[in-house]
Amino acid sequence: MKRVVIDPVTRIEGHLRVETQMAGGVVTDARCSGDMFRGIEKALIGYDARVAQQVTQRVCGVCPYAHAEAAALALEQAMGLRPNENGQLLRNLIVGAYQLQDHLLHFYVLSALDFIDITAILNYRGNDAGLVTLRGWVKSEVESGKIFPAAPFLPRYEGAYAKDQELNISAIKGYLGALPIMADLHKMVAVFGAKAPHPVAIEAGGVTTLPTVDRLGQYKNWLNRAAHFIRNQYRNDLLGVAAAFPTYFNEGKGPGNFLSFPYFPEASGEQHAFVGGATLGGKYQALDLSQITEDHAYSWYKNEPSSGIKPLQSTTLQPLNMAEYQREIARDDGKYSWTRAPRYGGEVMEVGPTARVINTYRSGKHADFNRQIDSLNRELNIGLNEYDSVMGRHLSRLVCALRILDRLEAQLEQVQPEQSAFIERDMPKSARGYGLTEATRGALGHWIETDEKGYISNYELIVPTTWNMSPRDAAGKPGAVEQMLIGTRVADPTQPLELARIVRSSDPCMACSVH
Amino acid sequence: MQEKITRREALKRIYGAIVAAGAATFISFEDLLAADATADKRLNLVWLHGSSCSGCSCSFLDIEYVPVLDIISKFTNVIFHPDLSLATGDQVTDMLGRVVDSKLDYLLVVEGSIPVGMPHACLMGHKPFVEWAVPMAKRATACVAAGTCATFGGVTRMNGMQTGIQTLPELLAAQRIDKPLVCLPGCPMKPEHIVYTLLHYAMKGTLPELDSQHRPLRFFGNTIHERCIYYADFQEKHYARHIGDSGCLINLGCQGVVTRNDCLINGHNNNTSSCIRAGHPCVGCASEHFPRQIMLHSHDDPRVIKRKF
Repeated sequence: MKRVVIDPVTRIEGHLRVETQMAGGVVTDARCSGDMFRGIEKALIGYDARVAQQVTQRVCGVCPYAHAEAAALALEQAMGLRPNENGQLLRNLIVGAYQLQDHLLHFYVLSALDFIDITAILNYRGNDAGLVTLRGWVKSEVESGKIFPAAPFLPRYEGAYAKDQELNISAIKGYLGALPIMADLHKMVAVFGAKAPHPVAIEAGGVTTLPTVDRLGQYKNWLNRAAHFIRNQYRNDLLGVAAAFPTYFNEGKGPGNFLSFPYFPEASGEQHAFVGGATLGGKYQALDLSQITEDHAYSWYKNEPSSGIKPLQSTTLQPLNMAEYQREIARDDGKYSWTRAPRYGGEVMEVGPTARVINTYRSGKHADFNRQIDSLNRELNIGLNEYDSVMGRHLSRLVCALRILDRLEAQLEQVQPEQSAFIERDMPKSARGYGLTEATRGALGHWIETDEKGYISNYELIVPTTWNMSPRDAAGKPGAVEQMLIGTRVADPTQPLELARIVRSSDPCMACSVH
Repeated sequence: MQEKITRREALKRIYGAIVAAGAATFISFEDLLAADATADKRLNLVWLHGSSCSGCSCSFLDIEYVPVLDIISKFTNVIFHPDLSLATGDQVTDMLGRVVDSKLDYLLVVEGSIPVGMPHACLMGHKPFVEWAVPMAKRATACVAAGTCATFGGVTRMNGMQTGIQTLPELLAAQRIDKPLVCLPGCPMKPEHIVYTLLHYAMKGTLPELDSQHRPLRFFGNTIHERCIYYADFQEKHYARHIGDSGCLINLGCQGVVTRNDCLINGHNNNTSSCIRAGHPCVGCASEHFPRQIMLHSHDDPRVIKRKF
């Protein structure tokens, strides 16, 4: 038995430790530790209900928009209110642009350089100004004799990177090209949401910003540029990586159960682009929220009971103190993460773009979507089962990005210029509500309860990475990413690149997951 | 030769952006050319995440005045950044250990607060974050508190928090670490603020002029209110009663009067918008009072003690 630890896992959001046991070069056991705790959801108790929108966004600076939306939806349900069409459309324009930014961030900045060989730039022979600058810099760094040459691009895990020079150069060019497009996508968020990260203008009742013609025009201009990049550069680079690493359609298989929430409605608030539901044992079923519980048998909390806890069942969260924490980590089978373990009918679920694709496909509700997936699968010579893999997750992000892009283009034209997108309503007293949406990295739920003055009396967040990065539950079942890691062959345990690729394929957001 | 002209043209463009960012008073075009030619003038940077959400890092990537590639390759050596570095696992902890043991000059950026009451609430390499932050800060030539959590505590210091956080200034004071310190509050921190600060430090070897809370006066010298588009409405007692009304938003919960930042001069996301321009009261995200118990509220909310203006 050999122990291989990756701590810290970089190029994700937040603080993550991955510890594996290996025998004969194959992972036999894995533990993922969410390493940062703040306690934001219960700290919200006593704050005004509208504060949840602003504060829950701060659990995550990568996907804050989804928390803004979920908090607004929860409060709207408590108010018995739905935004008007402009409110729904502006909200979609904000969250949709943010998702596109997040997909590009994940592919280029966080993941691509696990596959693409950055040193290929040294052999670049073309005359693209950005690439020439990068080549000159890397070359001078490597020759400089500095202790950390070419940081932050080196050192890296050494392993089997892409050999195709054309693909490497294209993706490095894509990396440099994606940064200004990401900034543009954040400007699209800001033009209606006020800023990115942490847009303020999504409130229960709609969006406070007035959709003036100049704002709509600005948005359209940036959208056109981003659309071109996504449909060409991003699509080509992602499919190029997929073609260069076909075995990664078989690596990192998870629990095989998928959970997603209905996502991206039309102006009416209905007809979501992605269908919610659960796929268990290969069978799709409609969403049943009563199946959701949380468990902290292996998490650093001492509340009793430690499993089967429903949303809003508990008003406190009691973290272990330092001495208790040290006792747990010294034990062989002790608690090992700040992340809790959500379960659906007791089952471990994977959430994220793959879950959105699989549940939407299996629901059979969107024939156009299924045709598109079928055609893509023929092109890549894969089936739906291959979406449950490292490369399948990357591919699903592309599929989701393209579908959101289509809807954004259509919905932008439906906004009524100069018409209010906001409905004012009194703060609901002694009320409850929940809001469901999809963050870039998966199913997100907020639950709110208010007191007789409109202050928050309880709040619950069940967040995508909580599902994916959960530790074991009381029944001893490992979490989704832990299951993805188990069974993986690692060529060189001192350079566990294969494991890093698997972990990053789930797009972890650790600050979200523990909140 | 062709390439050199391209480079000079590119620098001219960057200089144009620096002028636009208001940083031209301390950087001449010749400075920029000189900095470009001498690699050793580049600033070493170590960026760490405490109790944070990575929002300030994401905001940093949105910088448009200077391309990110130029920041990385021309003005700084980003020795470590949690979201950019290819280094993973032991490579990171080894590297940070070597930085502390070396004679290297570097600037330390801390994003997020430091939970000292519950040190195990933020871990890296199986070690409490505070045990990284203290030695890294002791060896740094200067420190940057990136964002509201690092500066004032922000959401990590809400009522009911159990982690007992310290801000970066508090940690430095408690540990008697006497270093030049700049605080860049804002949730998230604005990319222009950190890039200006880095360029100033790289060019002049000093931090920009600061107020008593270590904030650059250039950005935090005025309240939001003092530069507000509704300042005249406020003077005329013309107040909005509902979202969408014209007029000063103070009766809907605006925090602009008690928040120092430059949002209405240099708006968010390359001046695309600001909260007030988006019809929403300022939530005071750069202030020591963030987050308030009540933010956006109705003009007649009985829970809000009416102030007389």
